[in-house]
Amino acid sequence: MPIDAIHRFQWKPRPAVSIALFVALVGGMAWLRLYIYADRAIPLAYGLALLICVWYPSRRLLWSLTLTLGVMAGFKALVVLPRHAETNFPGYAWEYHLFNLVCIAGTVHVIINLLDHLRAKHAELERRNMELLAHEEEISRQNEELQTQEEELSQRNEAIQQQSEELQQQTEELQAAHAEGARRQVLLENLLQAKQQVDGTDVSPRTTCESLLNLFPDAAAATLILRQGDKLVVQATAGTVAPDCPPWPPDRSLTAVVLEHSRTAAVADLNLRPDLAAPLGSNGRFRAALASPLRLAGGVAGVIEIYSEQPQQWTSEQFQIIEWAAAQCSLVLESQRLHDEVVAANSALETQVRQRTVELQEMVNELEHFSYTITHDMRAPLRAMHGYAGLLEEECKLILSDSGHRYLQRIANAASRMDQLITDALSYSKAIRHELVMEPVNPTTLLRSMMDSYPVFQMPSARIELAGEIPPVFANEAGLTQCFSNLLANAVKFVPPGRTPHVRIHAELRDGFVRLWFEDNGIGIAPAMQPKLFKMFQRLSKDYEGTGIGLALVRKVAERMGGQVGVVSEIGRGSRFWLELKACQ
Amino acid sequence: MSAVPSAAFNLLYIEDEPDDIFFLREAFRRVGLPPDFRVVEDGQRAISYFAGEGPFANRIDHPLPSTVLLDLNLPQRSGFEVLTWLRSRPEFRDLVVIVFSSSGRPEDRARAHELGATDYCLKPTSGLGFTAIARHLKQLWFTSVDGNP
Repeated sequence: MPIDAIHRFQWKPRPAVSIALFVALVGGMAWLRLYIYADRAIPLAYGLALLICVWYPSRRLLWSLTLTLGVMAGFKALVVLPRHAETNFPGYAWEYHLFNLVCIAGTVHVIINLLDHLRAKHAELERRNMELLAHEEEISRQNEELQTQEEELSQRNEAIQQQSEELQQQTEELQAAHAEGARRQVLLENLLQAKQQVDGTDVSPRTTCESLLNLFPDAAAATLILRQGDKLVVQATAGTVAPDCPPWPPDRSLTAVVLEHSRTAAVADLNLRPDLAAPLGSNGRFRAALASPLRLAGGVAGVIEIYSEQPQQWTSEQFQIIEWAAAQCSLVLESQRLHDEVVAANSALETQVRQRTVELQEMVNELEHFSYTITHDMRAPLRAMHGYAGLLEEECKLILSDSGHRYLQRIANAASRMDQLITDALSYSKAIRHELVMEPVNPTTLLRSMMDSYPVFQMPSARIELAGEIPPVFANEAGLTQCFSNLLANAVKFVPPGRTPHVRIHAELRDGFVRLWFEDNGIGIAPAMQPKLFKMFQRLSKDYEGTGIGLALVRKVAERMGGQVGVVSEIGRGSRFWLELKACQ
Repeated sequence: MSAVPSAAFNLLYIEDEPDDIFFLREAFRRVGLPPDFRVVEDGQRAISYFAGEGPFANRIDHPLPSTVLLDLNLPQRSGFEVLTWLRSRPEFRDLVVIVFSSSGRPEDRARAHELGATDYCLKPTSGLGFTAIARHLKQLWFTSVDGNP
């Protein structure tokens, strides 16, 4: 590099060196010119001294030397040389030297300037270069960073790509699982529906089979086979299989194997298993089969089977699916079986109830007929007995002895009593059986009409007194008439001979009930006997006619009307019977 | 008691109890009616009598009655069936049919009236009580004679 050579060649100006050079050069020039060649004009130019500044680039030194040397040249030309007369010296010599000096000084100055300029340029270039280098480094560094980032991005890209692929795969798996789930749901819904419609239709098992077939997209057919007794019956089919198969005994088929071992079993290629009979209705088309048992009530009730027309290895997933489907089918079958049992039990119960009702109705009808028979047939002989006794009494009264008359009287009495007994028994059974329609009844009206109708309740036979108001009651009019008539008949009957019966009827309100009192002046009833009083066929006195039904009938009717009956009495002081009935608001 | 021509007051007693027939004849005697009324013993015979079928074809021996005393509880066909049959025929629509039964059941009484019975009389509890129905018949006949001379 020339610049480098210049650099190496030039000295860097320093004041001390400049002064030393100035002194040395001026001194040297002065020694040569003024001392050695003081008398001669020598060709040695002053300009040579100036050339030092090309090496030592100090403009101040240059121009100081030029000025000094000019002065020195003037001094020699104008002062020194004229003393030496021998020398003929042209007057222009000084000008010539001055011109020479200025030209050289100017040239050196220009050179120095150029060199400085060059140097500055060089330094600028150097600086630029440095900057460029620095930039280059920066760019390179940034490049490296970019490179790194790019690599990272690329890596991330790859990761994302991978994740995307994984996601895609998972989505596909999910979709497959979803489709699988949907197919299972269809089967489940179908089974549930079958469970709800357990009315014996054969549509449900068939749709179950169809749903089952949907779970196996590659399969050709599905069948549901149930064991009935020692035969197998195809309950339902779906797909390319003949639906009508007669029941057949368990043979050496896959079905039989599954039934026997109660385990899910599969055959990858039926052609390789000549020991197994071909599935029914297949016409030999099916090559692969998968079957699972239906476990019901601790045993194996049947089999569900899936057939494929191509040989195939059944996967563990397919095993799981068919076992799951078999479990669901078993549940439905079990619930169907339980439902059938309940229905059967219900229908048996209903039949029994119907039968019993018919029997009861027959019994009631018989009782009705029996009552009718009693009314018509049993009374006819009594009528005859009574009539013939009367006729005998009339026609043979002159020839009969006293005891003969008495016997005839007894026959007539017995017949009358029997007739009364029949009448009362009929009334009682009627009171028990017949519906009593309840309505508001005015007891006063009822009692008054009875007293008006029957002479036994009128003077002089008896004195019956209605004391005070009797509130209306809620009762059955016919039933209440029966009660009143029996109570009054008793009241007027059980009096000592010779005493006129006197009955006083009054009422009191007791907590929503009306209690009617029938107070008589009769013989009274011993307290010990009172509990027996209202029981059937209980007669407390042999001295009075009666059947022992009257009061039992009163109690039964009173109870059926929501009321009750009772007595307060003492021997010899009369009886106070009471009948309590619901008050009518 | 005045003698009444039996043809004018021709009674048919439909009754299966011989004792009741006996007591009615006895009662007729007691109230002064000729006890020669005709009797059939079951519902089927009664219908045959009215229809003039079989043994009853001869109307001289078996004339149509002017009054019928009908028991309800009869063999073969009940008194109600006889009553229904009679009232279904125009010629017997106005025939006097008195139901004479020991049943005091209100439903029997109501049904008899519904089917067109002229009257409903309860059989007495004693054979001697038949005089009441005999008296009732006598009154019926004589009143109708008086009313339609």
